[in-house]
Amino acid sequence: MRVDELPVLHHVFDSGPDDPVFDTLLLGGPPLIGVIAVVGREPVSVVLVVLYLLAFAGYLPYKWVRNRRQEA
Amino acid sequence: MNVSYAPVGRDVGRMLQALSGLVRITILVALVWGEYYVLPALLLSALVTFASGRLLTHAFRDASDPGKLHGMMVAAAGWFSVALFGSLPFFLIAWTIALDPMLLDPPALSGRAASTVGAFREPLNAVFESMSGFTGTGLTMTDDESALPRTLQWWRTFIEWVGGVGVIVLTTAILARPGSGSLTLYESEARSEKIHPSIVSTVRTIWWIFLLFTFVSILVLWLAGMPLWGAINHAMTGLATGGFSITDNSIATYESAVIDFALVPVMVLGSIAFPIHYLILQGDLKNLYTDLQTRWVFGFFGLGSALLSAMLYASGTYSSLFDAVRYGLFQFVSAMSCTGFQTAVDATNVALGKWSTQAQLTVTFGMVVGAAAGSTVGGIKLIRLATLVKGIRYRIMDVFVPDTAVRRLDIDDRRLTEEEANRELGEAAIISVLWFVFLAMTTFVLLLVLPESQYTLENVVFEVASAQGNVGLSSGITGPGMPTVGKLFFLFNMWIGRLEIIPVLVLLRALFTRGGLYR
Repeated sequence: MRVDELPVLHHVFDSGPDDPVFDTLLLGGPPLIGVIAVVGREPVSVVLVVLYLLAFAGYLPYKWVRNRRQEA
Repeated sequence: MNVSYAPVGRDVGRMLQALSGLVRITILVALVWGEYYVLPALLLSALVTFASGRLLTHAFRDASDPGKLHGMMVAAAGWFSVALFGSLPFFLIAWTIALDPMLLDPPALSGRAASTVGAFREPLNAVFESMSGFTGTGLTMTDDESALPRTLQWWRTFIEWVGGVGVIVLTTAILARPGSGSLTLYESEARSEKIHPSIVSTVRTIWWIFLLFTFVSILVLWLAGMPLWGAINHAMTGLATGGFSITDNSIATYESAVIDFALVPVMVLGSIAFPIHYLILQGDLKNLYTDLQTRWVFGFFGLGSALLSAMLYASGTYSSLFDAVRYGLFQFVSAMSCTGFQTAVDATNVALGKWSTQAQLTVTFGMVVGAAAGSTVGGIKLIRLATLVKGIRYRIMDVFVPDTAVRRLDIDDRRLTEEEANRELGEAAIISVLWFVFLAMTTFVLLLVLPESQYTLENVVFEVASAQGNVGLSSGITGPGMPTVGKLFFLFNMWIGRLEIIPVLVLLRALFTRGGLYR
């Protein structure tokens, strides 16, 4: 069975903007919050959260620039 | 005209079944926090809700697909029923604590904690809280939210989060029923734009976007310094532009400018229409300025915040410019996004109800207008304001052009014919007029029932606009001690505000006609 055929995951992959990065961010959110709940405010959890938010905030303009280049 | 109630009964039954699922999810939260004494109350709430829903869907299983009339009646009746049944956890948990059954061993509460939870033993207070939650209003019957059991804190947050997107959107996503019936229901819940041709795909994508933004918001707030439980709850109610808090003084409790500023983008995200979010996630960032409503969201938020900050600074409400900008920006965005988080309270600075009259009316203006249609906000909505402004200009310009001229009204990227322009302008005008009629009606009633000289007229208008705009900012009127008539009127205001008035009036007309009260 492929990952996108699993019971809950196939809804995630079928919906949304059909983008593996955003799908990963969506699926990675709950485990990351779980990590925070377990380890608390430690350097490792802070770094993970910063990386997550940078990936989200940075990917949007990256995708926009990439689309514009493809259109050009 | 004879109206068949079968489609209404069946679809309201489906909504109640979905609600039962929400209560069952909440059982997990009770288990995580070790609040085992709430389990019987939650199980009973889930069972009663599910059985009622099952009874309705079974009794009307052969009902036809809903038409426009039924769609409106389902939306109005469904939201009312969901608020009614959603009050069960509040009511039953409050009574569990009061009765103190030996085996369950609930906590012994005293002082403000006891009065906070005890308020929900009154059924009307429990229904008020539930209606306020589902409609994303945020006005509350609690005295000290931090004293609530974690399970009830979560239930308040959860119903606001679901209500922000919509109960029908949730039901459609879970009980996927393709076809015109789902589209009719979707449109009757104050939504119109679709993301995909299929309505089921559209609502699932809306939930996908909402979930991703929820996780991002939780992490932003946690990084800004909020404890994790606070970040989870406030991210959910902030994104849903609901405004329930788990602390006594809303966001002011944290006394952190970083948290205040971190919440602003969360509320802004909730103010932008989901189809625009979808396009932005596709990499089409130009929609941030090409879409009329989104452009106006940023324009109004920017100008309104600047104006409010200037008023607060000039009037001496805050002595430093930074404080004036901090509280002015937060409160205007909170008001216009219809969130209702409050940072201006007496405990840390100057309460909203003590701001100058012009500052309070500026915030009231934001609450009345609201942000983008198709998002999670309340109010009249920017697209209607745009239609009214452009429509009035169009009407005035009529005088200056020859009768034979072919004219078009441009709204956003749509070019409307004369007939379309008349229809859209008429709809926007009707809803706006009704909005002000009900605002005036409840203001009048409150002025009659509230103790004389305790509240000013601007306090009352502010509170009513907050209830009807599903905002939740308070000048101090709402609370368990509020007169019963006031609570009943606010219930009505919150209900009509969430559904944009017409569906509720359609339902009431149908009920009165059936009861022989209206011919």
